[in-house]
Amino acid sequence: MSETINILKNGLIKSNPVLTLLLGLCPTLAVSTSIDNAFGMTAAVLFVLISSNIIVSLIRTYTPQRVRIPVFIVIIATLVTIVDLTMQAFLPSLSKSLGIFIPLIVVNCIILGRAEAFASKNKVPNAIVDALGMGIGFGIAITIISFLRQMLGTGSLSVFGNELVRVPGLSDNPMPIFILPMGAFLVISMLLATLRYTGVIKSG
Amino acid sequence: MINSSIKQDIIPIAFLTIIVCVSVIFLYTTNSVTEEYIEESKNEAVQAMLNKQFPEMDDYSYDEELDLYTVFLDGNNIGFAFVAVASGYGGPIELIISLESSLLFDDEITIHGLSVVSHSETPGLGEKIVEASFSDQFTGVLVDDVALTKDGGSIDAITGATVSSSAVVETVFTTVTEKARIIRESVAVETEGGT
Repeated sequence: MSETINILKNGLIKSNPVLTLLLGLCPTLAVSTSIDNAFGMTAAVLFVLISSNIIVSLIRTYTPQRVRIPVFIVIIATLVTIVDLTMQAFLPSLSKSLGIFIPLIVVNCIILGRAEAFASKNKVPNAIVDALGMGIGFGIAITIISFLRQMLGTGSLSVFGNELVRVPGLSDNPMPIFILPMGAFLVISMLLATLRYTGVIKSG
Repeated sequence: MINSSIKQDIIPIAFLTIIVCVSVIFLYTTNSVTEEYIEESKNEAVQAMLNKQFPEMDDYSYDEELDLYTVFLDGNNIGFAFVAVASGYGGPIELIISLESSLLFDDEITIHGLSVVSHSETPGLGEKIVEASFSDQFTGVLVDDVALTKDGGSIDAITGATVSSSAVVETVFTTVTEKARIIRESVAVETEGGT
């Protein structure tokens, strides 16, 4: 039981893929312009990560060492294509706003990294827990960044079309720079600095 | 010895082949299930786009060769619409431009409406091209008057977004002129063939 909790905690805080390992930064920075995008991206990554970890773990004893990376890539690419087609069919507007970043999950280093570093060496239940920890860790990071960017960039916060908060003053004079790519770098750098300074994340 | 080295080479190849085959089966299944829904949602998007321009329409047809939507009401042609892409400040701006059907018998070309489908302009500045205050300026305007006011036209540019505004204006002018010529030519050919 404590092993399970350790694996989970590892993904959430100690080796948080985005905040500590700085993996998967490309989608994190590019789609974190709204909370909707963050949730959509997290759901897609979680599904692919859990499924790929399960499959890689199931076939780990049969997979020849020499072709393991191509095998992982084929599995991940298949899963991502399934997610992409399903989104296009049932969530066309979300699929449009996430755009190229859904197909790009194939080369997201979090997923290939977990397949290689964890799932190919561990039993299925542990692989699932690891995927959950890493996936939710990714989700937390991208949601915080999206929250800050949407708040500062538009002055209000709306989730799936419902406006939740409107910051007085800021909503009349928002700072659109935070919605732009540059704002993503500003937010993530300040976030990382704060987390390290306060000791939530330990460097090295 | 030889036997074992062949075995060493064949097993990985066979394994990868099996994985790819299984993957193909899964992808084929997913594709055949989702295909119809994807097609449907694309059609719905087109329908919604045309409805915005012609709320009274009841039918439309699409000509692949001309890349043109013809909109009907009670079987009568009430206008045309097409997709055009302008190159804006932050990337391509996808526009839907609609024309009055009067261009078929009139010398003048009147724009029926304009709406922005997608864009990546600067929030707060160029982004305003999606607002009605900008796009409504095109409604009912003759194509020859489509130019920014500073160039003697009738379209007011958005403050602080001259690049976005003139990109839209220039694209509307050139694509509408071109499309109207093609429409008239194709109609001329049709009537000639008919008589």
